[in-house]
Amino acid sequence: MGGDYRYDGTFAGLLTLLAHLMPERILPDAIGIDPPHQQSLFAGVTFIETDKELVEDFWGELTKRIAPAGLSHIRRTFLAEHPERELMICRYLQLAWEVGKKIGGMLAHPHVTPLWKLSQQVAGEAHRYKGFVRFQETGGGLFYAAISPGHRILSLIAPHFAARFSDQHWVIHDMAHGEGIVHDRLRREWLILPMVINAEPDLTPAEVRFQALWRSYFTTLAIAERENLRLQRSKVPLKVRPWLVEFPK
Amino acid sequence: MASDIMEKLAILAAGAKYDVSCASSGSFRRNKEGIGNAASCGICHSWTSDGRCVSLLKLLMTNSCIYDCAYCINRRSNDSRRVILTPAEVAELTIGFYRRNYIEGLFLSTGVVRSPDYTMELLIEAVRTLRQEYRFNGYIHLKLVPGADPLLVEKAGLLADRVSINLELPTRESLALLAPDKSRESVVGPMRQVNSLIVVNREERSVSRRVPRFAPAGQSTQLIVGATSESDLQIVTLSEQLYNRFALKRVYYSAFIPVVADTRLPAGSTSPHRREHRLYQADWLLRYYGFSAFELLDEGSPNLDMELDPKTGWALRHLELFPVEINRADHEELLRVPGIGVRSAQRIVRARRQGHLGIDDLAKLGVVMKRARYFITARGRYIGGCAMDSRLLLRKLIVGVPQQGGMQMELPLSRPVKSDECIGLVSGEL
Repeated sequence: MGGDYRYDGTFAGLLTLLAHLMPERILPDAIGIDPPHQQSLFAGVTFIETDKELVEDFWGELTKRIAPAGLSHIRRTFLAEHPERELMICRYLQLAWEVGKKIGGMLAHPHVTPLWKLSQQVAGEAHRYKGFVRFQETGGGLFYAAISPGHRILSLIAPHFAARFSDQHWVIHDMAHGEGIVHDRLRREWLILPMVINAEPDLTPAEVRFQALWRSYFTTLAIAERENLRLQRSKVPLKVRPWLVEFPK
Repeated sequence: MASDIMEKLAILAAGAKYDVSCASSGSFRRNKEGIGNAASCGICHSWTSDGRCVSLLKLLMTNSCIYDCAYCINRRSNDSRRVILTPAEVAELTIGFYRRNYIEGLFLSTGVVRSPDYTMELLIEAVRTLRQEYRFNGYIHLKLVPGADPLLVEKAGLLADRVSINLELPTRESLALLAPDKSRESVVGPMRQVNSLIVVNREERSVSRRVPRFAPAGQSTQLIVGATSESDLQIVTLSEQLYNRFALKRVYYSAFIPVVADTRLPAGSTSPHRREHRLYQADWLLRYYGFSAFELLDEGSPNLDMELDPKTGWALRHLELFPVEINRADHEELLRVPGIGVRSAQRIVRARRQGHLGIDDLAKLGVVMKRARYFITARGRYIGGCAMDSRLLLRKLIVGVPQQGGMQMELPLSRPVKSDECIGLVSGEL
């Protein structure tokens, strides 16, 4: 029992690790991420190499043991920015191995509650970012948006934007995690890639005009007699405002 | 676009902002080789400094009006600048904002120029341009103009996701007093027509999916609260009838804000926001909790309690039904417990199949124990710490009790849990 395990940070990597742990009923003390080939730096740390074939078999087993809703909770928990996300998934799977599909209803179990609550937070943030993305039209016809979400939600919002703006070249850049979605209008495909930006985007004249229109519209819309800044702040937290056109810098 | 667009936008947005409807939910439209789609759960894009969400580009086509309704900022006798947008300008603005993901779609309303039919045709032309020339598949909410030709109403419903016509005042008498140019029939007539068109359309579409959809997100309406002397009983009963008879998706309530001085209007500037909030709570009880209007209010107490939410108020009047055993009560009974909502009731039903639930489990499932504790038992255990007496309970519920015995479990996560946004909030959004 116990032990300190490392994987490469990918979902496949985590599944490989879990595929090793499950049959042995091991609950690690810690699961962390190491860049490959650095595993020998610490004594007592086991690095598990990602194994695509093993992952496929293991995923098949997972789908037999856990209902689709549970699997989405696992995926979303994996995307959460939380130090214990891997351990939460691990505990959840061990319980699933014990009780089978009954786990779907065990919402108040101490190994289940943290998982669905965290998954719900991730889903909630992804939903809010469907609204909080602001594209800017740059020279060359590319629409660029920068966001800074708490969790790694890009893969959750990409299908929404791909369906909605299928006729646009666009990029959504997650500044907090250094990655971005790139959508290709011609091939109707999107990819998540590592991303850095080293220059301010070069805005078209139409972009400048629409931003001014939007700001003026947004200011007009508020009813002064009903001002409620506390409510506004709970809905639009300060940390998302730097990326929103309608809030002054 | 010239800079005068900026000015027109400011004037026309200011005229439209008192309409509280903002929902972008309830419709599902795929992007067919164009731009945009409608997400069935609705998406909010921002919140203004009054805490209201921005989902649709809420705009008047024009603020000119041939009517002279006392409560309205655009009334004929009000001395203000009048402007009008062309259908092409409306479409261009909508697409420009939509491409940048500022909005979920368009909410187009208007003052009445020349005649109801002429005005309705202007609105339809703007929406037609969007749908056909820009191939826009996003959400469109279109206002129907009272008195417009039924053929135009039908045309509007075929282009829009949701149509609405505002009742504004709950009774005929109030309407005659404050909006002498509008008759009740000119509002209820189109509402009835839209409802029957929706029913017919649904039947036709069940036979063939090729039949175009008519107002897939249904219709809504708005009532102004506090401009006239109606009781909450009258308002809630009216809403219930609108939901049952015309299958309305939403009735919005707008606390009256005096924007123009008029001797027919109540004096003073205090807007009844608390009352508006209680009405929304009652509205939710009608739509999602299986309550009827007569259970919430009656002739003896025709107004909602400002200190207490309507569900708790109902529970205190029916203490003979409580406490409810959480492991045995059926779903309908759970929904009627103060502190248990639609989602926590569902979770309880799901979770108790896998074993009896204890008191400590309930907070984890999202039950608000602050209220629920007085009305439930779990495995026979009651933690209200108080006899089932409405006066005692009322005091505890209003004053609140100091936390004791770790009843409200802290969760092992640092951030507060947000429930799914797809369920609209009491502030009237979505």
